[in-house]
Amino acid sequence: MSDLINVTIDGINVQVPKGTLLVEAAKTIQHEIPVYCYHPKLKPAGLCRMCLVEIEKMPKLQIACNTVATDGMVVHTRSPQVTDARRSVLEFLLVNHPLDCPICDKGGECDLQDFAMAYGPGASRTADPKTRKPKAVDLGPTIVLDKERCILCYRCVRFDDEITQERSLVQVERGNGAMIATASDRPYESNFSGNVTELCPVGALTSKTYRFKSRPWDLHRTKTTCTQCSVGCQQFVDERHTNILRTMSNPHDDDVSEGWLCDRGRYNVGFVNDERRITTPLYKHQGQWVQVPWDDAIALWAKALRDAGPAASGFIGGGRLLNEEAYLLQHFARQFGSDNIDWRAGRQRQATSNAGGSVADLETAQAIVVVGDSPAESAPILDLRIIKAVHHFGAKLIRVGSTDHATPVPQMVLAGVEEAMANIGAAERIALVWDGTDAALGRTLGAAAQALRAAGKTVFTYIPGEAANARGAEAMGLHPAFGPGYRKLERAGLDSAAMLSAAAEGQLKALAIFGANPVLHFGDRELLEKALTRVPFLALSELFMTQTAEFATLILPAKAAYEKSGTTTNLAGSILNLSESIIGPGETRSDCEIIALLAEALGVDVPSVDAIRETVESLAASCGDVPLGDAAWCGAGSLPRGAGAKQRLRIVVAPHIFAGGGSSAHDISAAALRPKPAVSISPRDAAQLGVSDGAFVDLCGYRGTLRDLTVRIGRHVLDGEAVVIEGLPEAPAGALLGDLVEIARIRNAGRELVGGGVGE
Amino acid sequence: MSKVVKVLTQGIGEHNLRDIEVFRKQGGYAQYERALRELGAADVLDIVKKSGLRGRGGAGFPTGMKWSFLPNDGRPRYMVCNCDEAEPGTFKDHMLLLETPHQVLEGILLGAYGIGSHHAFIYIRGELKAGYEVMRAAVEQARAAGLIGKNLFGTGYDLEFTIHRGAGAYICGEETALLNSLEGKRGEPRLKPPFPAIAGLYAQPTVVNNVETLAYIPYILKNGPEWFAQVGPERSPGYKVVSISGHVRKPGNYEVPLGVTIRELLEEAGGLREGRTFMAVQPGGGSSACLFEEHLDLSYDFDTMANAGTMLGSAAMVFFDDTTDFVQAALSLVRFFAHESCGQCTPCREGGHWLEQMLERLVHAQGVAGDVDMLLAISGQMTGRNLCPLGDSVEPFLASVVKRFRDQFLARVKPTLVVVG
Repeated sequence: MSDLINVTIDGINVQVPKGTLLVEAAKTIQHEIPVYCYHPKLKPAGLCRMCLVEIEKMPKLQIACNTVATDGMVVHTRSPQVTDARRSVLEFLLVNHPLDCPICDKGGECDLQDFAMAYGPGASRTADPKTRKPKAVDLGPTIVLDKERCILCYRCVRFDDEITQERSLVQVERGNGAMIATASDRPYESNFSGNVTELCPVGALTSKTYRFKSRPWDLHRTKTTCTQCSVGCQQFVDERHTNILRTMSNPHDDDVSEGWLCDRGRYNVGFVNDERRITTPLYKHQGQWVQVPWDDAIALWAKALRDAGPAASGFIGGGRLLNEEAYLLQHFARQFGSDNIDWRAGRQRQATSNAGGSVADLETAQAIVVVGDSPAESAPILDLRIIKAVHHFGAKLIRVGSTDHATPVPQMVLAGVEEAMANIGAAERIALVWDGTDAALGRTLGAAAQALRAAGKTVFTYIPGEAANARGAEAMGLHPAFGPGYRKLERAGLDSAAMLSAAAEGQLKALAIFGANPVLHFGDRELLEKALTRVPFLALSELFMTQTAEFATLILPAKAAYEKSGTTTNLAGSILNLSESIIGPGETRSDCEIIALLAEALGVDVPSVDAIRETVESLAASCGDVPLGDAAWCGAGSLPRGAGAKQRLRIVVAPHIFAGGGSSAHDISAAALRPKPAVSISPRDAAQLGVSDGAFVDLCGYRGTLRDLTVRIGRHVLDGEAVVIEGLPEAPAGALLGDLVEIARIRNAGRELVGGGVGE
Repeated sequence: MSKVVKVLTQGIGEHNLRDIEVFRKQGGYAQYERALRELGAADVLDIVKKSGLRGRGGAGFPTGMKWSFLPNDGRPRYMVCNCDEAEPGTFKDHMLLLETPHQVLEGILLGAYGIGSHHAFIYIRGELKAGYEVMRAAVEQARAAGLIGKNLFGTGYDLEFTIHRGAGAYICGEETALLNSLEGKRGEPRLKPPFPAIAGLYAQPTVVNNVETLAYIPYILKNGPEWFAQVGPERSPGYKVVSISGHVRKPGNYEVPLGVTIRELLEEAGGLREGRTFMAVQPGGGSSACLFEEHLDLSYDFDTMANAGTMLGSAAMVFFDDTTDFVQAALSLVRFFAHESCGQCTPCREGGHWLEQMLERLVHAQGVAGDVDMLLAISGQMTGRNLCPLGDSVEPFLASVVKRFRDQFLARVKPTLVVVG
């Protein structure tokens, strides 16, 4: 018990661990010490002066946010001196604060309002005009700043400095004229920008998506899990009249998000209410989409499956499915007699690793090796842990392969896994972050992990892939060779690629795709288009008319994650709850319901969701012994990769937080955040090819051409590689995955050149 | 009889002390060489401790004690000389820099040696460009003479030196703001703890000393700690350069033993002009409270000033005679502090501006009823509640003159129309 000390707060004895700040110690007895600049996730700043408390034997009042409780300390948080100090600080804060609470978005959940009511002076004593400062200042694509409302607590600046390390927000001017601004007046562009609106204790920082939309007391809140990526951050969804108006982080989500949300998770919610949602089943009749009743849709589908028979049927269930839905889908398919079932519909081959650590473990690593997609774009909150490990705990960050993401912390960019391993030095705890795409690379990484473990080191592996619930899908058995619980099947079915090949050859007669858009993400575009054109019946459970949906025979209107309850499994294997935040529009149904209807029509017995709850939970908690890049698990192996050729760059595709053909493509409020098609090349290649940053180029490969890409010169791009944003319908880079391309038709600032050798 | 002494001011106006040869002929750098050759760092520290030297920058903290706070943990240590002299009324450091740069440099080098540092810095206020140029030349001469660099005097001791020019913010005289500015960050005070002795410049153990403090060290070494300690009051010993300005006949820097009276200092500065009456004196820079007629025979030293409710501060004395408009004087100082607030702490940021607005009205005779009491209330609310002492600097002068010359302030309040019945 020696780490506990005793302090007396307002006459109450409190035992707290050594090193506890007074502001936290007072919370244990629910004695609120009001704060503005202090935030438990940020370093104390000690500048709002709101938390002054009286400590016996100290001549002056002390700030509770930077005073560590010591044994025997006697603290008063409600004495006349403290009350006076609070009233006086509030008087100062209010003296130049605009009285626009009635039109302020923060009204009703504002710390300045609340503390002014609780501790402030009742009346103003000033006879002078208030200081005027700019209002409604556009900081960037997401945030608006009201400099008059700002009380200069600098939480936003400190978040941007300490947590994201981006340092785009700064303080300018001084004294009474001090203000928040962006560095060099550049736009505030960050994948985490929305967090500053939550950190802001007043209404100074507001989100463009929520400004003037609602009063907090009119919102209905549900607690759920974000399913935009595989991290699984806990979030609150605030809904009004079946519209999601905003999402907020859960400050108590220490295990996963630490109380932060990325901008995709926060801002990309408008899609659920988008007018383009498919709300009735659609059947393609003589090349035209016709609305059909659910009964007819299910009957058509059941007939197609019956006609095709199990062997000529295939089921692809993407990572959008919840655990329950994934379980039911594979259960149904196998009961129906088909093992042609796979969750993989894009580049990712694997989601479960046999040596994962928790999300929190990542920050304890002394060396972090990132292979493949940048987690900053595919799993942003995971990247915050990496930043923390590197900046705060001195971990070494090594990246294998090119990336177009400019990380704010130092990183070493190397070409191969072997080089990376040679550079991890004396680190005892090593984290390997792999995107799960290139199986051969995964095997190399797996072997390296084995060697490290054999040398007595602790190794954590993380696979932040493309699909949110890929790990859940694997545990549920949505895999051609492995059943539920990673049980290896005697006879494997066809995986996605094999199903597509079979379809292309006319052997697969009925294909069903749940919540996936392979046309945009699957590596082999040629095979895919051939397969989807040739397959006689393609059923698709979708929210929108995606690139894949255009090939479908039947589209079933599905519910979005916010419209259903269930569980999902994150990349670290944690089972997380979703609860229905809003009602799905029109005739949409959850995938569980869709599968149940289909099963009924085919006379296949599937259990109810309630009946499988325990099974799903125990399966989700299981972790298969799947080595990284395991051949039996990943199938065919490496991605197509062209051999080196003179004058040609190898295409490396990279995710972007706001790319994709689904939710972000169908969200008007997030439209400004969509990336423009771009290619990043190394400074050397740019110089050799005569392209400058910002030029427009076409990329001509053996398998196709991508047009009008903006050139970015990337510090972290290796020579000979071209990094292209993946998942943009206007520039489907997946089609050229691994291809060798030439840069053609260069337009440098208005001047057209014919470059690279291959013209048009 | 004049109480003026010549220690730091020795030779000023007589010799070109900017020339290292001239300076060395006067015995310059001899103590530095002796210390490196004959004394250990601990000996230097011991001598400084025994001398009773207290910081000459404003706070009057015992220098030896400050040095001894550095943890002995093997981390590099830094000596930083604070030459951001900006306290209203203070002009001693700039004079020392301009006239005797080598004397200052020797002090810094000795200070660095005394704390076991291998890198010393001087942070010069941006406006002191002339002093900066002089110091730069002096450092070049010292480097050429083998006083800065590697293996000095063959003792194996290395010492590097960096001159840094500030960008002209009063707050950078506060030591942690100075360190931020020196690191290239925004010049605003840091939250303490940690104190600079534990995590100062580049988060390493650091001592920040004033120019004058360090400049006395060579003399203390030369003459022995007792020579310094026996001058003046026991707990506030030694000599001090006092910057005297305001309504006196001969404003300027006067080096005196601590313990002289304020009246004696006024006489040194030539007294008031013909026919003027003494009204008040600000004894220790813009941040200090005024003293009045009844205080003129007080001993001028750290403790007596503190007991009288004011402070010795940076020893900048401003005398006010009966021509003074104290409302205007208050506005000048309050405007200065409001302008120089870094804007971090709420009371300092908002209070200073509020007071400035009120005083602006009062100066133009547009005061409203209650303004005078509000001046006291608001400045009181600002005090003792900020991260650094800047916010606390507004009240002393303002409150002292409002209380003493209340009539002058009340006279600027517009008559209020009271509706009766």
